[in-house]
Amino acid sequence: MPGVTEYVILGTILFGLGLIGFVSRRNLIVMFLSTEVMFQGVVINAVAFARLHNHVEGQVFGLLLLVIAAVEAGLALGMVVLLYRRRGTLDAEAWSLMQG
Amino acid sequence: MNVSTAHLLYLVFAIGGAGLYFLLPRIRHSRTAVGVVLGLAAAAAWILVLALRVVAPGGAAYFYLFSTIAVIAAVRVITHVKPVYSALYFVLVVLATAALLILLRAEFLAAALVIIYAGAVLITYLFVIMFAQQAGSPVYDRSAREPFLAVVVGFVLTAAVAGRAGDLPAPKRPTIVAAASPAPINSLPAGRLLENTEAVGGILMTRYVVALEIAGLLLLIAMIGAIALSRKRFPSEWPVPAPFSPLGQVGREAEPF
Repeated sequence: MPGVTEYVILGTILFGLGLIGFVSRRNLIVMFLSTEVMFQGVVINAVAFARLHNHVEGQVFGLLLLVIAAVEAGLALGMVVLLYRRRGTLDAEAWSLMQG
Repeated sequence: MNVSTAHLLYLVFAIGGAGLYFLLPRIRHSRTAVGVVLGLAAAAAWILVLALRVVAPGGAAYFYLFSTIAVIAAVRVITHVKPVYSALYFVLVVLATAALLILLRAEFLAAALVIIYAGAVLITYLFVIMFAQQAGSPVYDRSAREPFLAVVVGFVLTAAVAGRAGDLPAPKRPTIVAAASPAPINSLPAGRLLENTEAVGGILMTRYVVALEIAGLLLLIAMIGAIALSRKRFPSEWPVPAPFSPLGQVGREAEPF
């Protein structure tokens, strides 16, 4: 039976992969998909620590994380649709007006 | 593996093989719907077999299997050129994560994850992708932005966190039991081992009820925000300048009351 360590490492790997995707991809939709991958890593971490300490509070945190993810998906995708209507592209570079 | 599990496995293989037979492409007498139904039945039976096996002690093989699936699918999410395939690989990440949560005895959260993520959030993503995706693969999908720096940052973060996780103790035996005080609504026998959903629901409704209410309020705010964002503005709502009227005529057309 793998211990909590393996789960924490796996959650960290998922979080890191999501971070890499969010930083390096240029498509707005794929960027937000990468944040969802990060959410998965955080949920695995929270539940693994709940299992370690043998109570369910981490699972409650995971449930609230699901709420946050749903809110983020709804608002972010609404904004993506709005930005697509304005510029006709999903490229995040199309909105980098403030770079020096 | 006892005999009943083996028989169940044979049943799964038979159903899945039959579904595969109908799903294979052919020129005439195509029975794709039958194949889909049989495939879904085989998948459900396979999940049942897995559930029977997971409750057994051990389970290291399942951890390695599902963690491998999750990591490979996450890599494909962030590396695939087509966003539709990224979203579908993310479904795979969600399913693997749900399986891992079952291994961690978080059955309710696993079900919620599948229903909310794979059922609702991913459908929203697919809608937006089909709405906004351009034909072919545009250049911003084929070229990453600063890939080396991104990988370095991700590696540093992952190594810093995962390197500290090496000395966590093993999880204890489950000891969450019903309270000894008599519960007014749902009286559980004192000392009984609580099921996962019971335990989560109990703590969500007592200690974290304020957080639950705030989550509901947050969902309401997000709904209003999404409606306000995606609302189409009609020309009749724009501020219309007052029609020009000569100076002596101002107010003359108003009816006296």
